[in-house]
Amino acid sequence: MIEPKADAGAAARLGASNVTRRFGPVLANDGVNFQAERGTIHAIVGGNGAGKSTLMRILQGMDSPDEGFVLVDGAPTVFLGPADAFGQGIGMVHQEFMLVPGLTLVENLMLAREAVDRLGRIDRRAALDAARRLEKLAGVALDWDMLEQDAPIHVRQIVEILRLLYRGADVLILDEPTAVLAPAQVGELIALLRKLRNEGRTIIFISHKLDEVLAVADRITVMRNGRVIGSLDREEADKARLAEMMIGEIIAQPKVRNREAGAEMLSIESLDIAGCGHAQLKDFNLSVRSGEIVGIAGVAGNGQDEIAEAVVGLIEPRSGHIRIGNMEVTDASLGRRRSAGLSYLSPDRAAEGLCLPASIADNMMAGHHRAPEFCASGISRRGAMHSHVESLLDRFAVKRGSSALPASSLSGGNQQRVAVARELDGDPKVLLACQPTRGVDIRGIAFIHQCLLDYRNRGGAVLLISEELDELLQLSDRIVVVYGGRITGEVERGSADVAEIGRMMLGDTA
Amino acid sequence: MSDAAITPWKPARVPLQTFADAILPLALALAVAAILLALAGHNPFEVYRLLAVESFGSTRRIAATLSSTTPLILTGLATAVAFRAGAFNVGVEGCIFVGGLAAAYVGFAFAGLPGVVLIVLGLTVSIIVGALWMLVPGVLKARLDVDEVVTTLMLNFVAVSLTAYLVNGPLLAPGSANSATPMVVAAARLPRLMPPSTLNIGFVIAVLLLVLYWLWGNRTALGFETRLAGLNARFATAQGIDVPMLIIKMMLLSGAIGGLAGGIHALGTVGRFVSGFSPGYGFTGIAVALLGRGTAPGIFLAALLFGALATSGATIQLFSDVPIEIVEILQGMVMIFAVARFGWIFARRRRAA
Repeated sequence: MIEPKADAGAAARLGASNVTRRFGPVLANDGVNFQAERGTIHAIVGGNGAGKSTLMRILQGMDSPDEGFVLVDGAPTVFLGPADAFGQGIGMVHQEFMLVPGLTLVENLMLAREAVDRLGRIDRRAALDAARRLEKLAGVALDWDMLEQDAPIHVRQIVEILRLLYRGADVLILDEPTAVLAPAQVGELIALLRKLRNEGRTIIFISHKLDEVLAVADRITVMRNGRVIGSLDREEADKARLAEMMIGEIIAQPKVRNREAGAEMLSIESLDIAGCGHAQLKDFNLSVRSGEIVGIAGVAGNGQDEIAEAVVGLIEPRSGHIRIGNMEVTDASLGRRRSAGLSYLSPDRAAEGLCLPASIADNMMAGHHRAPEFCASGISRRGAMHSHVESLLDRFAVKRGSSALPASSLSGGNQQRVAVARELDGDPKVLLACQPTRGVDIRGIAFIHQCLLDYRNRGGAVLLISEELDELLQLSDRIVVVYGGRITGEVERGSADVAEIGRMMLGDTA
Repeated sequence: MSDAAITPWKPARVPLQTFADAILPLALALAVAAILLALAGHNPFEVYRLLAVESFGSTRRIAATLSSTTPLILTGLATAVAFRAGAFNVGVEGCIFVGGLAAAYVGFAFAGLPGVVLIVLGLTVSIIVGALWMLVPGVLKARLDVDEVVTTLMLNFVAVSLTAYLVNGPLLAPGSANSATPMVVAAARLPRLMPPSTLNIGFVIAVLLLVLYWLWGNRTALGFETRLAGLNARFATAQGIDVPMLIIKMMLLSGAIGGLAGGIHALGTVGRFVSGFSPGYGFTGIAVALLGRGTAPGIFLAALLFGALATSGATIQLFSDVPIEIVEILQGMVMIFAVARFGWIFARRRRAA
């Protein structure tokens, strides 16, 4: 059931021949040719909207091309749906996991392919045996009776991968698998993928993180604007070359002036928070001054979420104080905190950072809609709002049809620009920026980084919480490392050393 | 999913979707009911012609239609206001009962007051009582996340039974065997617009409220906040909007409009409160809000449709052998199809093609 097909080393296992897919006037895929050889890890890189996800959906049978074919073992194939692709051994791990909360991991594993005995009852022992075999195969150890919602995110991801193996897939498509992982877990995932490849499976790996791609892939295909720009073997590829192929030009690193830190804008004093999970904050102290970016580094789940939630007021601390400017806000509502000068860029763009069904203009105005220039005794000043929104959208180079269209009509990168533009609008005293570039392509990242730096240079204070160590290193004047809800160290810009930060992230105090 | 791919594609399908959402429920309902009519041995086209004539065929029929449209505009509006904030209030029916009884009480108990005062007082009391009726479900939903569908639905039974008890006991008209209050004094009756039709000033109030609703939704900060909270409560919270408070406010507003619907029905049409006061205006209001997609013009047209069906259904029996049940089936069909969302069917078909 879980053995890959025998003739490893033969020609292309899965490919696309001249695949074109149109959505209205837009060519999401334009004559795409691509081949993933059996027993290799094939990375597909490209910015947002490059057409990676469309191609993957076609390869996995969720969508069908307007022209061209999917090639399975070299033969043109038309899939009727994902189940059809599964029948041919092709499975996909989506960016949003497709596991069921409330079921245990082993139940999730066997879902839709339950092991049953002769009476049709679910055979838990057989399921668990299968789980153990897969576990050994993958070289991991899992607590299979754990409920899905209790499992850490990297464990859920492993279950997703094992589920594909359980259902007999030998081609695994992974969509941005490392976006949710901490650096150490990325290493584990890469090791797992290599092991699966060495056993003859074919892995297609979508990413826009070039370091990972270079670390894991045997062959790399670069896409841009719906077309394949080229495919390279690992040996031919380096970061600069890939980046150039992806964006067509080299983007300069942001310029960073020396900081002139001013008055304290955000202060957290001896904050104590009883987290519902393991992470709690104990006697936590932090201060962010005007004109500086303070980054928080740590493996996910070590208190970063609690810090953010405490600053915006979503959880109530047991003790301690939070001040914005000179104002004590420990018990204040988020509305009061915002009027005190706090701005909050949510890590969850789709669910909290934006209101996707509402118009782009509404998304830009939310939170500012009661400012005196946009609202007179409760009545909106629509003209002022409209011109403000248009000028902001232009300044942040948001590509859009019309600001009256829903925010969901924007690409991910442009959605994040809308959120950033809104949160920096009106020059807040302090910006809490959580994962500001999650799911944004290289060009968008550079733009958002520049926005944050400009804001800092204008005297803004930024508390930056990010899982991207590169981002923290590039932007932060100081990096504070947290582990288990405590600060394990602090490094200044320039003196930051990745290995040292890595040690502190794992609990070694500096 | 490739984000860039969606961008220009979505706006192209919006007009089609809106059109399908608005017209398809009615068309499908008419088609299905036509089959039923044909099976029952009636000529569906003849029946539909009669329905049209009976609802819009003369000034008197139009007045009758607008009269039955009035409570539906108000209940549709009451439901839509709560929808905006993301609360599914099915308790407007109860608000009609308590609001109607309250207004009727004012109308006969304070008989000495001048007419204008009496009317304003009666309607104000119906508004207050209706709002208070929604206070508990609103607070329970906002603060404790108790499902408002359950609480408001159950409160309907309480409202119906409570008012039935009152008009059978303490407020029963002297010498009457019916479960009804005394008639309100003539001065408390809402001025009629086109006598002898029951069409009264309540219709003007309802249309005025619709206009205010449109202005509120599109031109005020509170309307903006309510829309955001209804579409994505987490987002609204993150933008500093006090969503629980907003839900309480909108539930109170919804109850107030529901109470006013009762008050207008009592002082305008019925002239007193009787047990079985509302033939389900509150529930039809849910269909009106859904069919009208929560927009002011949509609510007006949907209320007009159901109002027309109600008027013509009542008289069609007199002029044909079509039983009123057929009209009720037609109403039910429209309601069922109104709840379904049709736009996505088109979207999917386009994709599959």
